[in-house]
Amino acid sequence: MTVPVARRNLLSEKGRFAISVGGVAFAVLLILIVVALYRGWSQTGEVFEKLPGEIWVTQIGTSDPFHSTSLLTSGDVGLAASVEGVEAAVPVLSRQMLIPIGDGEESVRFMALALPGGLQLSPDVVAAYAPAPGDIVIEETLSRKTGLKEGDRLVVRDVDLRVGEVRPRGGDVLSQFAFVHYSDAERIFGVGDIVNYAMLIVSPGSSVDEVAAAVSAGNDGVRVYTSTAFAEAVRKEIDEAFLPVISILVIIGFMVGVAVVGLTTYTATIERAREFGVMKAVGASGGFLYRIVLTQSVILTASGFVVGLAAAILLARLAEQMVPEFVTDFRALDLAGVLVAAGLMSVIASLAPIRRINGIDPAMVFRA
Amino acid sequence: MERKTVITAQGLTKSFGSGSGQVKAVDGISLAVPSGEMLLIMGPSGSGKTTLLTILGGLLHPDSGSVHIEDVDITRLPDKKLTELRRRKVGFIFQSFNLWESLTVSENVELSLNIAGVPGRRATDKAHAVLTELGLGARLGFAITGLSGGEKQRVSIARAVVNDPRLVLADEPTANLDSAHGYEVMMLLRNVARSGDRAVVVVSHDQRIREVADRVIWLEDGRVKDIGRLFRDPVCGMSVEAARAVSLEWNGETYHFCANGCRRDFEANPEQFINRRQAGEASVRPAMEGDKE
Ligand SMILES: Nc1ncnc2c1ncn2[C@@H]1O[C@H](COP(=O)(O)OP(=O)(O)O)[C@@H](O)[C@H]1O
Ligand SMILES: [Mg+2]
Repeated sequence: MTVPVARRNLLSEKGRFAISVGGVAFAVLLILIVVALYRGWSQTGEVFEKLPGEIWVTQIGTSDPFHSTSLLTSGDVGLAASVEGVEAAVPVLSRQMLIPIGDGEESVRFMALALPGGLQLSPDVVAAYAPAPGDIVIEETLSRKTGLKEGDRLVVRDVDLRVGEVRPRGGDVLSQFAFVHYSDAERIFGVGDIVNYAMLIVSPGSSVDEVAAAVSAGNDGVRVYTSTAFAEAVRKEIDEAFLPVISILVIIGFMVGVAVVGLTTYTATIERAREFGVMKAVGASGGFLYRIVLTQSVILTASGFVVGLAAAILLARLAEQMVPEFVTDFRALDLAGVLVAAGLMSVIASLAPIRRINGIDPAMVFRA
Repeated sequence: MERKTVITAQGLTKSFGSGSGQVKAVDGISLAVPSGEMLLIMGPSGSGKTTLLTILGGLLHPDSGSVHIEDVDITRLPDKKLTELRRRKVGFIFQSFNLWESLTVSENVELSLNIAGVPGRRATDKAHAVLTELGLGARLGFAITGLSGGEKQRVSIARAVVNDPRLVLADEPTANLDSAHGYEVMMLLRNVARSGDRAVVVVSHDQRIREVADRVIWLEDGRVKDIGRLFRDPVCGMSVEAARAVSLEWNGETYHFCANGCRRDFEANPEQFINRRQAGEASVRPAMEGDKE
């Protein structure tokens, strides 16, 4: 009977219940959206894991692919290519730069790989990262931001480019990648003999770590990353910038949830103080009464969680239509975490009402 | 039937407040109630009835004295044990019913069973059986707010006895009822004592229910008063103490009245009142039975 009692205590005020569910849903929504956004943005750098190279050679001192400039000579590339276990050393040009779009400009991360012939690459990799001369491959996000569609033309520093393909959105949403042919990049950047990175393809059977160590040892002007470490280096920046903010937002969401559930359960309990007093008088144990209060909180948080989850997914879809960078990733583990947090909300929110119940003198039920 | 003593109280006292504002609500009360008996404790408002009842039921600690419920001195029990004792041995009935208004008739009784550890289906079945026995079989799913006062008090009785307590305590159980329903409730409580072999203690200032009790104790200012001689006002039916009554000799007998008004009515036509005494009582019972359907 604890569940019907709890349910009816809560539902005796339908308006209050609805408002409270809304409040909890809001808290859950805030937490879920913030976490899902973080997960979405944490995929930044994904391109370095998808490209065929396992090792990235950068100029000494380069911290990560986004916030640091790396300049290498063709000599550095040659040195890396000569290390045992390196099947190919691919010169890479990459630069964040403005391109004219209509009357305005848009910041795009250009990248070009000088892939040698004879490599066994999947058609998908070629289509995504190795366009023909004169073609530019962009992602859906950039397409939506700029209005550029397949077949559109644009001129970047006297180089005529045609949008060859619009790829589905990948994980890199904070920075828009655009791939062009290496010869076009050379003309656009105009940097002569200089390249930005060397992407190394390790021959089958060789250890990536050992090759990386050998390349590093052979040239003290470079810093060598595995592709994963290179991607992680960007994510580290994102974590440092966003995690504190996210943590605060999650804590605020949690506290809003606790406050809403706590206040509602508290008033629903006070309203029924006399009825709880009667239960005490007729011999209800503390545990029995706590179960009722806790059930009140759990019903409220569970309803709020369901509504909040639905609202979060809906909102994420809608927001993404309007803001291309609103990339969210709802992970099962995160949902489970928020569910646990909601459970914790119920427990904390029950503390004040339980204290209140402990304070009820059962003899009061004999007084009018 | 062997009549075992269910509850014994010895020298109970309880004061509220301090200094000149101190009230001795209970002042040296001793009593014992055997199983099968319904004891009625009467007294004017403020005489300490409720305070005494809450002490007897283990809801209030007396300043001194002891209460034994079946050999257990409940005044020495810690709160947790007291709660358990109330759950297992005591049933409560209140003036203002104190039913759980968000629950149905049946659920009120089920909750009481749940509290005592009887779960789910078993509680439902038992609640239905007890309520049906009390004439509420057609009201099981009703909301409490839809019941009449008499029905509410019958639900209270069901709730109080469903866990089969040894002791049932009722505080002014008839105060919110008309006399017919008050009488009915008292009859039911007497039955609770007799057929259930329980001790029932009813406190009340309601004069109308006196004759249903097996025994009456009078309370005044927290003390048991020697009821000495109590008389019935032949006009209004109230019980009156000889010492405070207005009396009149008629036809060789002394009659006592609550006030001069009643005496004047009596003087105008004495025979009418002497005969109506029986007639007045008889008119109560059919009304009660008619209501029970
Ligand atoms: N909790 C309390 N605090 C202070 N005074 C009380 C309390 N309970 C009862 N009293 C006083 O004790 C006396 C007896 O009260 P009570 O037992 O309620 O009488 P009754 O039930 O016979 O009307 C009254 O004077 C009342 O004001
Ligand atoms: Mg009272």
